[in-house]
Amino acid sequence: MAELEKTTPLPAGNQAEPQANGSRTDGSQTDEPRVGVYICYCGGNISDHVDVEAVRERMENVPGVAVARTNMFMCSDPGQELIMEDLRSGTINRVVVASCAPSLHETTFRAAIARAGGNPYQYEHANIREQVSWVHHGDPATDKATRMVAAATGKARLLRPLEPIRVDALRRAVVVGGGVAGLRAALDLAERGIEVALVEKSAFLGGGVARLGRLAPTGEDAAGLVADLAGRVLAHPAIVVHAGATVTSFGGYVGNFKMEISPAPAGDPATGPAAASAQAQETGAPGRLADLAPGDYAPGRGVAAPLLASGPLALETGVVVLATGFADYQPRSGEYGFAEHPEVVTLPRLLRELAARDGQTGNVLLLDGRPIRRVGIIHCVGSRQIPGVHQEDENGHLNEHCSRVCCSAAINAANTIRESWPDTHVYEFYRDIRTYGRGQEEQYARASANKVVFLRFSAEEPPVVRRGTEADGFPLVLGVKDELTFGEDLDVPVDLVALATGMEPGPIPELVDMLKLPVGADRFLLEVHPKLRPVELPVAGVFLAGTCQAPMDAGETCNAASAAAVKAVSLLGRGFVELDPFVAEVNAEACTGCGACVEACLNEGALALEEVETDGATATRARVTPALCLGCGACAAVCPEQAIDVNGWTLAQYEAMVEMIVSDAPFASCGTCASRAGCGAGAETAPGA
Amino acid sequence: MSTPDSHSGVPQGKILVLATESCAYPGADSVGQAHSSYPANVHILRVKAPVLFPERFYLDCLEKGIGGIIIMSCGEECPYEGAYKAMARRLDRIYERMKERGLDIRRVRLTAICTVCNRAFLNEVNQMEQVLQELGATAAA
Repeated sequence: MAELEKTTPLPAGNQAEPQANGSRTDGSQTDEPRVGVYICYCGGNISDHVDVEAVRERMENVPGVAVARTNMFMCSDPGQELIMEDLRSGTINRVVVASCAPSLHETTFRAAIARAGGNPYQYEHANIREQVSWVHHGDPATDKATRMVAAATGKARLLRPLEPIRVDALRRAVVVGGGVAGLRAALDLAERGIEVALVEKSAFLGGGVARLGRLAPTGEDAAGLVADLAGRVLAHPAIVVHAGATVTSFGGYVGNFKMEISPAPAGDPATGPAAASAQAQETGAPGRLADLAPGDYAPGRGVAAPLLASGPLALETGVVVLATGFADYQPRSGEYGFAEHPEVVTLPRLLRELAARDGQTGNVLLLDGRPIRRVGIIHCVGSRQIPGVHQEDENGHLNEHCSRVCCSAAINAANTIRESWPDTHVYEFYRDIRTYGRGQEEQYARASANKVVFLRFSAEEPPVVRRGTEADGFPLVLGVKDELTFGEDLDVPVDLVALATGMEPGPIPELVDMLKLPVGADRFLLEVHPKLRPVELPVAGVFLAGTCQAPMDAGETCNAASAAAVKAVSLLGRGFVELDPFVAEVNAEACTGCGACVEACLNEGALALEEVETDGATATRARVTPALCLGCGACAAVCPEQAIDVNGWTLAQYEAMVEMIVSDAPFASCGTCASRAGCGAGAETAPGA
Repeated sequence: MSTPDSHSGVPQGKILVLATESCAYPGADSVGQAHSSYPANVHILRVKAPVLFPERFYLDCLEKGIGGIIIMSCGEECPYEGAYKAMARRLDRIYERMKERGLDIRRVRLTAICTVCNRAFLNEVNQMEQVLQELGATAAA
């Protein structure tokens, strides 16, 4: 990589004085702009289409540039070290990084500048991947990258040092969702001294895991896990549980969110008490919700929790952890005979039946008094759906994702059946087996040892479920073109068909709207970056925990929930949060107190006129309340004196960027060889640090 | 000095896009993630809200050599309540001043682009390319 780290130290004469743009000088004698430009190859993502070295060499023609360097990955430790070393040595005092979208690495490079003792706000980002190399090719891409980097440099020269706005943060958290993720996150937060309000829509704690039996691959008892976590949550003095409650309003900002919760609608078929009562009856729990006290365990539902009696209840919190969980895919009527044949059930239903017979053994599994001699389990039901092959749901959605947990759950169920009821045979109809995690492959091997029969189908030719005849001797027949026998048509008569249904995101459209949450193409909530910020959302102070983000098993869910809790604790740990200082600032010397900015201001209270003493006389001047200023700039546009501007996003900086976009200065021919790209002659080109 | 941007396939003239950081700018990133190509004379600046720019900013840009400006806002999704309406009112005044100077108002356009509005983004850019083809690469020309 060393040969790709190149440097152009530039002659001192290149460092021109900052332009005075009429309104305000953004530099001073002691802070003469010395811009360092750092251009990333992005491992070929940029350099395959942009001649990165040509861009670097062209930067020698750009005023204010003190040094220009390249690196294979500027975000890597060695890449950041290039920047930090130049700051520490005093070579530069402002930074431009040209790389991927600023949403990915702006904070990375600001932090690097701060670590090197620089001001993190004397930084500008040039997006030459998403907005150049991924959309343009060849010389036009290199030329556009040159202009965008030059424009960033034009702005960087005018950047003043800024200090973040410090706001006190409430050491409180709201966790939305009382499944395993919410319980785990609430406990981790509370144990670090954060007060937690846990809001759960249903009347029970335990979420999706409470609907399961033995968990793959360890065979851990789901009921025990839920009872343990919920018991500790209910007993914890720092946690208040509000069950049967939904979020009805949301506002504020990191450190100071305001949320209102209200009792969940009684008629809600998914969450209402009537549903809870019906479910309790089905699962043999006490027949009425009123019979359950908080802490009681209802099989298939979870642990009863204290209900929010009336509302709305106002909650103030520093952070929010979203743990809204998943929903089981509901097969369409007729999909593999579902809802047409009573012998076709979902795998979660079969798991509940097995949980109810936990520890029992016999020759043959009995369901509803009916001996199950053979069971067929069909994989990938409602997962890995293919456009044009599978039918969209009523909202036009397809689940193109793999739900990840169903292969192991199905194989775990098969092993349980084979080992407890040896005369019940299991046939697994699969597309691909994805037993990906620790201990899961062993379960797959164990299924083979247990003589579970595997048959493989293609998505285009799925198994067909039909009613069996008397000659078949079974109520259903599963017909399949089996790829393992090179396309042989096989009929498997069975007593029961279980559909390994996938995971869908929980239905939370109101939360998505209220909190302005980003949703991925798969409709799960979308983190900022899968590796760099895996449990964070773009809204500062809002975190993701568990299967609201993607299909996960219970172990992965707990990992994610603990990660979210740690992130939240580290944010609240200092007792204050720092907000970007991109708010309006008044130049009191230029302000005449005309009030045009106050009239244009969009957030009441952010701008006001006040009387001030200047030179012994009283004068009217505009004053900004930074914590209330939104930074939109509506004031800057209307000031006749150009006496107000948004820090970090000033009009003069935009004007400088436009000037660099239209300028051909970076493309000036080399005096030595007449190369337009710049050959480097006249400027020393040396390997990087 | 040789003339850059004279490659075949790159339209003449420069289009400036003022893209809001919460909607249109990530929308442009989304176009990049989809590797959907568009002409390389489109230059995107990230803005918090386009309501920052006074009328003179647009006129100055056109004078400096920008051929067309697309203000890609958040529309009704604007996180700054009232900013979009204020912007729409300002656009009327921008158009008035453009007309006073004999400038074709099609060179400045206000639109709303969401974070995943790839098709709408490409459509807006291509429409402005056509305007520049018809009216000339720069307003001064």
